[in-house]
Amino acid sequence: MAMTAARMLARDWRGGELGILLMALVLAVGTVSGISAFTTRLQNALEQESHRFLAADIALRSARELPAAWLHEARQRGLQQALTLTFPSMVYAGEDNMYLASVKAVSDAYPLRGELTFSAQPFGAVQAAATGPRPGQVWLDSRLFALLDVAPGQRVTIGQARFRVAGAVRSEPDQGAGFFGYGPRVLMHYDDIPATGVVQPGSRVEYRQLYAGVAPALDAFRQWLQPRLGGAQTLLDVKDGQPGVGSALRRAERFLLLAGSLAVVLAGVAIALAARRFSERHNDYVAIMKSLGATSGAVNRLYGSSLLLLGCAATAAGCLLGWGMQALFFALFAGHLPVQPGPSGIRPYAIGSVTCMVCLLCFAWPPLRRLGRTSPLRVLRRDLPLENRRTLADYALGLGALGALMWWYSRDWKLTVAVLAGLGLTVLLGLGLALILLRGGRLVGMRAGSIWRLALAGLQRRGTANALQVVIFAMAIMLLLMLLLVRTSLIDAWQAQLPPDAPNHFIVNISPSEVQAVEQMLREAGVASEALYPMIRGRIMAINGVALSADQAPGPNGPEDAAGDDPGQERPGQRESNLTWSARVPPDNRLVAGQWWAPDTARALVSVERDFAERYGIVVEDTIGFLVGAQPLQAQVASIREVQWQSMRPNFFLVFPPRLLASYPATFMTSFHLGPGDKAFLNRFIRQFPTVTVIEMDVVVEQIRAIVEQVSAAIELVLAVILAAGALVLVAGVQASVDDRMRESAILRALGARRRLILGGLCIEFASLGLFAGALAVIAAELSVYILQSQVMDMHYAPSPWVWALGTACGTVLVAVLGVFSCRAAVSSPPLRVLREL
Amino acid sequence: MAGAELEILKGITLEIKSGESVAIVGASGSGKSTLLGLLAGLDEPSGGRVVIGDTDLGQLDEDGRALFRGRHIGFVFQSFQLLPALTALENVMLPLELKGRGDAQAQAETFLERVQLGPRSGHYPSQLSGGEQQRVAIARAFATRPAILFADEPTGNLDTGTGAHIIDLLFELNREQGTTLVLVTHDMHLAGRCRRRLRLDAGALVAE
Repeated sequence: MAMTAARMLARDWRGGELGILLMALVLAVGTVSGISAFTTRLQNALEQESHRFLAADIALRSARELPAAWLHEARQRGLQQALTLTFPSMVYAGEDNMYLASVKAVSDAYPLRGELTFSAQPFGAVQAAATGPRPGQVWLDSRLFALLDVAPGQRVTIGQARFRVAGAVRSEPDQGAGFFGYGPRVLMHYDDIPATGVVQPGSRVEYRQLYAGVAPALDAFRQWLQPRLGGAQTLLDVKDGQPGVGSALRRAERFLLLAGSLAVVLAGVAIALAARRFSERHNDYVAIMKSLGATSGAVNRLYGSSLLLLGCAATAAGCLLGWGMQALFFALFAGHLPVQPGPSGIRPYAIGSVTCMVCLLCFAWPPLRRLGRTSPLRVLRRDLPLENRRTLADYALGLGALGALMWWYSRDWKLTVAVLAGLGLTVLLGLGLALILLRGGRLVGMRAGSIWRLALAGLQRRGTANALQVVIFAMAIMLLLMLLLVRTSLIDAWQAQLPPDAPNHFIVNISPSEVQAVEQMLREAGVASEALYPMIRGRIMAINGVALSADQAPGPNGPEDAAGDDPGQERPGQRESNLTWSARVPPDNRLVAGQWWAPDTARALVSVERDFAERYGIVVEDTIGFLVGAQPLQAQVASIREVQWQSMRPNFFLVFPPRLLASYPATFMTSFHLGPGDKAFLNRFIRQFPTVTVIEMDVVVEQIRAIVEQVSAAIELVLAVILAAGALVLVAGVQASVDDRMRESAILRALGARRRLILGGLCIEFASLGLFAGALAVIAAELSVYILQSQVMDMHYAPSPWVWALGTACGTVLVAVLGVFSCRAAVSSPPLRVLREL
Repeated sequence: MAGAELEILKGITLEIKSGESVAIVGASGSGKSTLLGLLAGLDEPSGGRVVIGDTDLGQLDEDGRALFRGRHIGFVFQSFQLLPALTALENVMLPLELKGRGDAQAQAETFLERVQLGPRSGHYPSQLSGGEQQRVAIARAFATRPAILFADEPTGNLDTGTGAHIIDLLFELNREQGTTLVLVTHDMHLAGRCRRRLRLDAGALVAE
């Protein structure tokens, strides 16, 4: 049978119909494996890129020294490692110059990922550094040279040790990691820590162990490490490395997976179409074979093994195509992608192969299996109804298979449900349309009197076939619109999150007496700043009268939670936090539960950030006990807020009514944007307010923006590929009905119809189908996008009116042009030839 | 057509002896093709029986009838019914292959020679004239040495001269192999070549 099948395939190949199915399959495997390989490699690359933000693949953070045994374990597992220690300390130069700096001690291997840069002179030419400063040396932030009045080669003192200033530190890969440092950076060698004597038990320090290596070893080590972590030890992964980058990457990943899933759907639809056409054309073939004595079993075996052979050939060719496609992408866009693509592994090709087989089984096999039931009587009577009507069970099988493939591909059931919901709605609406079209069906004949009546009659006459075609067009258009919508809102959200003038500098520790002067100086320099927020250190002690454990170490960096906190602690205990007050809901914040207070309320209320509340299990009306300074404070939770941490504006976990905190000692903070040319302002500012701490985030903001730009470019690329795949489905959909329309048009022509009448009729008929499909697609796309954005992408949904215009217009024009183009032979060749060739 | 039941053939009792040649004639729509389809086991009657030899076709399912056709029955059709993707030789080989004959190619070549198409065995149906296509169909029908040959308007798509040649060939082979021949036609010349002629009139059988 395999031999006969192979021979049949070879013969059929010459017949031409098999080519369409094979092409659809190859395209399916190619698109799926190509996109999958592309996204995998891009993900790897982006992950590599984001490792920079940790200066490692994984990092451990703690306020106390981390066990040396872990380093030993990592060494045995073949992982690279480095140590860092960050702490605030006064740096002295000469007799009377001193400044509070953020000192970072690093071991020789630092950084494991990313690049450390320095310059010989402050603000001098930037060079890459293989390692940090040698023992006995320090690198200072460029600004510190002026503040301390030192020059390269001179000495500074930290604690009890003296160091030679060897250069200026210009950038560290994990600069953003210790988000709120204390003032300008001083980089020193890890081995010099004991000599300084500044790190004592209880000091505010942050220890880090950095690890890097190959993925399997890292994963194994991570698993080994996880159960050994204490409450105060935090494992930082790539995605925690940088607020903003994490969520951007996560969303991008979702988008790429979504795109890949849509490729699977488009492939499935294309294969179903091609198989249907294949089986329609093989009805007569099977009838002849059956009249010659072939049983339905023999027919099934023949087509089954043909399909298997076809699948194998398509898989091989498709994988090759996929490989070529992603290679081409990287070749074309190598210049635009600053990251080096990583390896893809074999998973993309495995996905492609399985997709091929599943598509064959669920889309191609049902119509072919029914070929076995073809009546041999067709040899005498060609007008017998075809045995390849699709049943509801077929659609259910197809949707089920698509769902399973998409889930396997994206491993995200919400994403799968969102797409399936849209597809399901398309099918339902399409069936409704079919009913409407069929109702008056037989009442209208050929109606060749005018273009419009001809077209209308054509629409009604082929009611079911047209409804099916509308569903297919709608599916393709819907998937494309969906992707376009998600991509647009994704990129918009990123841009809104980090507009060009996003705050990139923070100032903290502004005393109440300095507030006016600071505001005035910012105003006079033309620097637009956020409002000044009061900040009070407090400690959360109890919830609803139940005391929290005291085990939790205080955060090493004072006001760190003003911009982000490490999520994922199992059992939160007592912790220090920054409290603020506000009469109104802070900008960028959104209440998700409870109510905001009256501006002048005297009640003891508090508003809690959502994630913080979830971690502590806090709900509205709970009572939280604080310790502010030495005084206890009880407050009732009035509301839960959602906060945009990526906005780079001052944000707080805990907000109180102004009158409640007014009597406590507070300092103030704010954030503002400074362009690269305006940095000199900082020196003037620091000289005027020496006790105020300035935190420079501009490098970090630039890094985030660079990542976001790369991810956006990747998304545009993938969108382009999917658009091409969608266009192919449209072509296949038009092709599916071409035979029927050609035959009719040829008969009309033979009867003397003018070219204009036929082309005009076809054009109107296809345009109407396109219009229906576009409208259907828009409805379904909005539903899918709503589910996607609210459930999967973690974004806010807003309807997009422009999609209505785009969807219907594109549907109408594209389908009309493709349809008329495909049927043009009906008017350009002699009718008899057309009829004979069909 | 919905609702109304259509009776195409009415109370036909017909016996055809082995080796006989029978022509069924009648106007278009008289039910000739329906009768042929029933006799050849391509269709199931809504009532009555069709028995070939010892086999009651009504007792067989579609697959059983297919096997029976493969073993005992050959066809020649008005529209030739060659598979366009196969060469002349491959078309003739097809029923032999379906029977699992190892010598399919040799047999097919012999029969193509017999219909004088040996040199054109590698050609596709589209490269052959109507007459040549029908000769391939005849070679295919006789290649399995069927006991009964059913022919549906075998000359219907051919001009008179070519048609006459095809008829000669059909009867020659029929004689050589001792096949039972049942043909449907409204070509009186063709019908005249058969030993027995039956006329179908509005679904009823009338002897000539």
